[in-house]
Amino acid sequence: MTALLTAEGVTVNFGGLVAVNAVTLSVPAGAIHGVIGPNGAGKTTFFNAIAGLVAVAPGRIAFDGTDITGLPPYQRARLGIRRTFQAVQLIPQFTVLENVLVGLHHDIKENYLTSLFGWSGRSAAEEEAQERTLEVLRFLGLTDALFKRPRELSFAEQRFVEIARALVARPKLLLLDEPAAGLSPQEVAAINALLRRLRTEWGTTIVLVEHVLSLVLDVSDRVSVLDNGKLIAEGAPREVEADPRVRAVYIGEDHA
Amino acid sequence: MTRDLIHRWFAPVAIAILLLVPLTTNSYIQFIINQVIVYVIIAIGLNLLLGYAGQFAFAHAAMMGIGAYTAALLMHRLGVTFWIAVPAGGFAAAAIGSLGALPAMRMKRVYLALMTLAIAELIQWVLVHWKVVTLGTDGVKIPHEKFLWFTLASDYHKFYLILAAMAVLYVVARRLVESKFGRSLVAIRENEIVAQCNGISIAHTKAAVFAVSAFYAGIGGALFALVLGHIVPDGFGLFQLVVHFSIVVIGGLISMFGSVIGAVLLTTLPELLRGVRALQELIYGVLLMVFIIFMPGGIAGFAKQRGWLPDEILVRGWRALQARLKREGGS
Amino acid sequence: MEIPLLLTASGLANGALYALVALGLVLVYKTQDVVQFGHGEVLMIGAFIGYSLLNYLGLPYPAAMLAAVLACGIMGFVLERIAFRPIAYHHHITLAMVTVGLSFALKGIARIPFGADIYTFPRLFPDTPTIVWGKLIVTPQHLVTIGVALALTIGLFVFFRSTTMGKQMRATQQNLTGASIIGINTGLIFSGTWALACAIGAVAGVLAAPDALLYPDMGARFLLKGFAAAVLGGFESVPGAIVGGLLIGLIDNFAGFYIDTAFQEISAYCIIILVLFVWPYGLFGRRPTHRV
Repeated sequence: MTALLTAEGVTVNFGGLVAVNAVTLSVPAGAIHGVIGPNGAGKTTFFNAIAGLVAVAPGRIAFDGTDITGLPPYQRARLGIRRTFQAVQLIPQFTVLENVLVGLHHDIKENYLTSLFGWSGRSAAEEEAQERTLEVLRFLGLTDALFKRPRELSFAEQRFVEIARALVARPKLLLLDEPAAGLSPQEVAAINALLRRLRTEWGTTIVLVEHVLSLVLDVSDRVSVLDNGKLIAEGAPREVEADPRVRAVYIGEDHA
Repeated sequence: MTRDLIHRWFAPVAIAILLLVPLTTNSYIQFIINQVIVYVIIAIGLNLLLGYAGQFAFAHAAMMGIGAYTAALLMHRLGVTFWIAVPAGGFAAAAIGSLGALPAMRMKRVYLALMTLAIAELIQWVLVHWKVVTLGTDGVKIPHEKFLWFTLASDYHKFYLILAAMAVLYVVARRLVESKFGRSLVAIRENEIVAQCNGISIAHTKAAVFAVSAFYAGIGGALFALVLGHIVPDGFGLFQLVVHFSIVVIGGLISMFGSVIGAVLLTTLPELLRGVRALQELIYGVLLMVFIIFMPGGIAGFAKQRGWLPDEILVRGWRALQARLKREGGS
Repeated sequence: MEIPLLLTASGLANGALYALVALGLVLVYKTQDVVQFGHGEVLMIGAFIGYSLLNYLGLPYPAAMLAAVLACGIMGFVLERIAFRPIAYHHHITLAMVTVGLSFALKGIARIPFGADIYTFPRLFPDTPTIVWGKLIVTPQHLVTIGVALALTIGLFVFFRSTTMGKQMRATQQNLTGASIIGINTGLIFSGTWALACAIGAVAGVLAAPDALLYPDMGARFLLKGFAAAVLGGFESVPGAIVGGLLIGLIDNFAGFYIDTAFQEISAYCIIILVLFVWPYGLFGRRPTHRV
């Protein structure tokens, strides 16, 4: 299998504080890759580096065969990298429909001029986008929420809407930042099932940052462990789970 | 059912009533109605920038001035017909206004306000002092151009021209906000990081909204010049800007209805306090504060909450979609 | 040689005024992240209160000025509590828009009794002639301005370093959440900062009015000069505001004399535009650290 995402020696520096330190990893197309580590290990910063929100120096990120290290975030998104956020970031005054359509921004082939034309309130490009939105909401079981606003939804539903926004453009790579945080065991099970279906039915490659270890270790093909910005272990979930360094980090945290 | 009926018939009935308005008014009332319509255009432009895109810029009155002066000077000095001069005013403002996007892209957000305030004041200063071109504080008179039966000397004739412009610009703005463009504006207002991570280019979108907003201000300014017949630099200063702010805030940010409601209410209000500058300032200032603090959604927001106004969802054809889903779900 | 000296003296006096205006703007901005577009009108209101107390109530000059400053301080305190506290965590446009409304409301309030007339504000030492030291000529008003501004700056420095309130204000400016966690009453700090900023604005107002004349629209010019000074100083730095103000005063005078007097009218706009495009963090501003 060819690697869809490759990070080589990725380092992120915040004015002297090294948040991510020479992390190298490679995610093959179609895989689910877990990233775990204690709080402040640099997981989210690593995500931000892949999404283009923080500058990488030094280091190199390649996606789908091209070097994307210098690309701005919106271009990476257009190439097919989409993400969710640790704290759900929906637009409060938007309905679910509008929120999810934001994810299709680049896919709606309409410009300022063509959006003006046509009678009777119809637009082929918009209608196609609406169909795609309905499709992804059906996949997630959220069709009833279409015209609701985020405040009318439960926390878990909001999280699913954010996943819908990230998925609607059918990205090649989906970055999920703690999708299970704050969810009940049943809802975590739903996330687990969703990730498996995405892999089999859509073939989406997923990188998953997660605190809920049971989920990551169950669903991931490979797991990377970050601590203090450094990659301290990588391997199949079972190997990682057994790795004494990983245990030390996690037990150290649990008993702190 | 009645709501559907109202929704279907509201626009045609409103247009029919508007077309008949000149039959019932005297020249003074017609003059005020003309101003109201011009302010609807200007308010839509400001709402796109300040409401939808959340860009706190101070140059809208100055852009209106650019449009007014471009049109007025073209007509007065070069004898250009208003058919060309008015759009030229819009494009001149759009060209200058899109420069406003430059600071908006790179700077901390406080600086956008300061920068545009400085540019606006500088534009006004140029209008006053560049006498060779702008005629300074004497202002510019608009010639009474004739076109077939149509004459710019009549408030009634001008009314139809302005109404047509407003109708077109209203529909254009509605379509713009009900497309991916409108959604990307609100996305940027609320969360630039989310916008970027979904493939929205902040730079392109801001440049576009600054240009479109200034275009509306420019066309509005040019039509304002036609309505007044005589413009002076002082008309495009900070007081004008506060009128604009009040219209969109009190009418309702992020709402096309809001722009219309605000323009109707706040353009007629000063006529009631005719000439009392101090009272106008006090009332605009206090209303602006009170609405922002206690009713941040403006009148339109309040009315939408109560169901008196329809929801404004930024998706073209969303009503049809909703109706279809209801049918499918019901069957 | 005498011309540069003359320009320097009056430039420093004007600059001291701009520095005071900028100081008020920077204090409010640092504490609450609000750009106070009504600050020019606070200055104007302060001057009008001083004028009224002097002329209609016949208070002695220093007492009238002190009372005006105090009144503006109270006004700032109350304004913050009723108009800004309820919306402290709203979209930044919301807060700035309220200050725009405030600006016009204050202008209207002043215009109702005082109308469109221009008033002459008396000087502290009307009878003292200009002071001549060799080739340096200084008006007493300039000396008063520079003296008061200097005293106020020193006083503020001591206040921020040595008093509990001052230290708490600085802590709040640096880290709002942290300040409230360690038990600082941030609400009181907000109101106190507004009171301080408005009082400093009123000082600038009563110092400026004798030379600048007194009318409801007088604030706009000072606000823009204050913005220019604050921008030059980086908008987040108290020393920056003071140095920026003095520099603007000097630039105004020299450019007005050697280039064109019209430049004085537009210098503020030009400096704002230039600084923001070329040097957006000003003299004392810090480059923001990138965060997500």
